[in-house]
Amino acid sequence: MSRQLIFILIALSVAIPLVIRIGLPNEVTSEVMHVYEEIDRLEAGSVVLVSFDHEASSLPEVKPMAQAILHHCFAKKLKVIGLALLAEGTAVGEQILRATADEHQAVHGQDYVFLGFRPQYQAAILGMGEDIRRVFPEDYSNTPLARLPMMRKVKNYEDICLIISVSDGDMPKRLAVATTAVMATSFYPFLSSGQMVGLLGGLKGAAEYEMLIKKPGMGQRGMDAQSVCHLVIILLVIAGNVGYFMKKPSTVGRPPSAAKAK
Amino acid sequence: MQRTIPIIVCFVFGLFMLIQFFVPHRISVSAYQTVLDWMQIVFVFTLLVGVISYAKLNAKKVTRTQTGWGYNLIGLVGLAVMVILGLWKGTGEKTAFLWTFNNLQAPMQSTMFSLLAFFVASAAYRGFRARSWEAGLLLAIAIVVMLGRVPLGSFISQWIPDAANWILRTPSMAAKRGIYIGIGLGTISTSLRIILGIERTYLGGK
Repeated sequence: MSRQLIFILIALSVAIPLVIRIGLPNEVTSEVMHVYEEIDRLEAGSVVLVSFDHEASSLPEVKPMAQAILHHCFAKKLKVIGLALLAEGTAVGEQILRATADEHQAVHGQDYVFLGFRPQYQAAILGMGEDIRRVFPEDYSNTPLARLPMMRKVKNYEDICLIISVSDGDMPKRLAVATTAVMATSFYPFLSSGQMVGLLGGLKGAAEYEMLIKKPGMGQRGMDAQSVCHLVIILLVIAGNVGYFMKKPSTVGRPPSAAKAK
Repeated sequence: MQRTIPIIVCFVFGLFMLIQFFVPHRISVSAYQTVLDWMQIVFVFTLLVGVISYAKLNAKKVTRTQTGWGYNLIGLVGLAVMVILGLWKGTGEKTAFLWTFNNLQAPMQSTMFSLLAFFVASAAYRGFRARSWEAGLLLAIAIVVMLGRVPLGSFISQWIPDAANWILRTPSMAAKRGIYIGIGLGTISTSLRIILGIERTYLGGK
């Protein structure tokens, strides 16, 4: 099978389900349910920190997750502090936070703030543990934090109920992570040890969270495309193996080195 | 002298960061906070070094009209345009910088990331062969996880997502945990070698 044909099959398997909805039923995994329950049990007025630690390349995957979580936070009347520990997360994070806040009539400075970006994330994370104002003296719109009503009672992590990292790479109190599917496996040891409350893995995580908050979005739409795409790849792998076994029956079951030696 | 001073600085700061963790006194906490501030300041300068290095390398290729110099020129123009737009009207809402970021940079980067799907499919078709028992097992597990992580899996059978979740939560996590323990031990030993001046390759030269 030519490479061009494979590329066309993949393009069609992604594009067609995005246009024509299949509506395959999705199930909520315990990791996603734990994030939902953690946010849901917080009282109105509790402070949640959402860190946009991703690059623009993973936007189609992380944006639906960030939107779903922020919709839940604002619907629960939680106070949201947004920030970015990767430069490209700044513009993306600020836009997602502002757009979602506007939908819920949340007021900047009272219900949410966006602190912007700080380089060298290890130093920024450790510094915020001591005093957020020292790392971020002003927010993204250059307003001193002391002048923002919701930041007057927030000094460090002790005043924050939950930290959510929306990330596309490896990355403290109670932490939930929303990351790309490819990076999700990296977080299972922390989930198992109880260092993390829950995990949203890629578009599937977004789709599951959208189901929980009953607000369908790009996550659920994308799962049909991802299902068909995975199926096409599996069929391609099976076809490739069928071709391989039909072509070289004598080498079947032998390690490549033995087959080569023969 | 060129090597001795950095080794002494590294030893003093390495030892300080190690000891201060166990000393909750306000002088220790304040000094720690100052070091964290300086880490960020130093990091910003490393970004600057990166940008200068990128510009120099690409400018060299353009002036020498080396193969693919057009791409290097586009990279340089892109860098210059984003810096000018950012300095001109800032990076906030309704600025040319943000428009360029949303409508050029983000779609281009997403496109590059999306291309992975095409290459993964092509590579899987050509290279994912059950040449041995182990390769066959890997292939079967990959198929179960791929199906189990999408709604199609539970549509076929509930067993598929259950098996996929078990694979991720048990054997895959165990392997990851082993890797992390290895990374942790490696980090500790390398850090001690650097602090004690045994490891000097970071200084460059011979």
